[in-house]
Amino acid sequence: MAAIGAEVFFATIPELNARLVSKEFSAEDLARAFANRLEQLGPRFNSLALPLPQQAIRKAQEVDKEIKRGRLRGPLQGIPYGVKDLISFAGHPTTWGAKPYAGQVFDYSATLIENLDAVGAVLTGKLAMVELAGGGGYRYASASLTGPGLNPWDRTRWSGGSSSGSAAAVAAGLVPFALGSETSGSIVTPASYCGVTALRPTYGLVSRHGAMALSWTLDKLGPFARTAEDCGLVLQVIAGKDGKDPGSAGKSFYYTPQYARPMKDLKVGFAPVDFAERAEAPARAAFAAALGILKDTGVQLVETKLPQFPYGPVLSAILAAEQASIFESFITSGKVDELADPAQIAGLKASLELPAKDYLKAQRVRRLIQEAFSRLFGEVDALVAPGRSGPATKLDQRLDVGGPPAPAGTAPGFQGIIPAGNLAGLPALVLPCGFAENLPVALQIVGVPFSENTLLAIGKEFQARTDWHKRRPPGV
Amino acid sequence: MKLTRRKLATAVLVPAAAALAQTQPALPRNPDEELKAARDRAKSTGDALAQQTVPMATEPAFQFRA
Repeated sequence: MAAIGAEVFFATIPELNARLVSKEFSAEDLARAFANRLEQLGPRFNSLALPLPQQAIRKAQEVDKEIKRGRLRGPLQGIPYGVKDLISFAGHPTTWGAKPYAGQVFDYSATLIENLDAVGAVLTGKLAMVELAGGGGYRYASASLTGPGLNPWDRTRWSGGSSSGSAAAVAAGLVPFALGSETSGSIVTPASYCGVTALRPTYGLVSRHGAMALSWTLDKLGPFARTAEDCGLVLQVIAGKDGKDPGSAGKSFYYTPQYARPMKDLKVGFAPVDFAERAEAPARAAFAAALGILKDTGVQLVETKLPQFPYGPVLSAILAAEQASIFESFITSGKVDELADPAQIAGLKASLELPAKDYLKAQRVRRLIQEAFSRLFGEVDALVAPGRSGPATKLDQRLDVGGPPAPAGTAPGFQGIIPAGNLAGLPALVLPCGFAENLPVALQIVGVPFSENTLLAIGKEFQARTDWHKRRPPGV
Repeated sequence: MKLTRRKLATAVLVPAAAALAQTQPALPRNPDEELKAARDRAKSTGDALAQQTVPMATEPAFQFRA
């Protein structure tokens, strides 16, 4: 068995692939090393839901035989990964992060696991999450079957939610990449807090078959990884038409950085207030510097205003109505009371009472939002804003209330960019961009539907000029 | 007046914490209060939506295909 050096745990997918193909180490060596690391260090961050070492080793042995025969299946062959525990893996528990579902086992795997399996990627474990992806609205980070997600940069801080384990595991070098989900903020927030690169794909680009439904018209699955390029390589495998997902857009994705538009041709909209008054004070310097680096890539930064809509209420109404229907029997049976977070329990119960007119009104306003963004993207190619306005929150901090309000008269900036982007089904790339209070902060770049290649090209240029994505948390 | 570091920290941090506390709704004390708070939030969501005008011809953003 070849020795796996510590640097391997933070290597990119192309770096790992090159070392596998050159037989510097085998897929089995790599799977054993990552599976051990995930099992040993995962609990330290409450990021592990289920270790899968035996399955991983068996799969890696198959991969080694294929590589020996010269059967190469692309850059993900032999690469270990983890999935958020709302994605089913046949014959193994899929808990949805919630005690009432702790014994749940599906007899089929999610489409994206089948896609990854087909190219030789090696599933090493399932990763922790906020219970039921937090759709009922939770108050504390402890709203999870596995306890609060602990941030690898500082375990007194939250790793973010609801894809808590996916982000923390990548940040701590426990997996080279992971899959998570976003209904509204569940990829962007943990990626920002943990300092990892992540992609929320366009709605419908990645099949959700086999993943827990929280909101049929909002749910997306996407990758957490080391770099924008890694996200592109993973997306290329997991994207595509799937008749088993009624929301499937029927489109494929090919990662083609070689055909990216020149940076100087791209207009990126931003609101200066997001990087100043609306950013938390300790993070402003990092955000300002990041904006400068983004400009250095050659893109044209253009001051832009977000269309004004009640994004939060529109998203809340749609999420509440759809989750109420999905979880109706769970709520009415009383099983809901076994959840960990009292606010989430009450939120789910109240969602049963949402008037139909509110849901339909929200979906009609959503149409206006979609049209307004379509017009906005006639003027700019992408939007940039902080991933979150500051670093990770403290573990005991209430999550159901905002921080101190901005001074009266402060412009709204892109304050609603997370619900807005999700309502319009827009892709977003999260890029680590610096530190505040020794914790990572990030940018999010939001684009036109199906413009993932453009976002990834911007990300690649940004990461060619920075090393924030290469930083490692202390002690791992 | 001589201001010690502790007094200075108290003078700066306590009002900031108090201001933050004022913006936070009180914690519900039992499941009934939790449910009432959740219903109140749903009601304010409905109120916010009611204020948004939508052209009569605008159809919801989901599609049924036969």
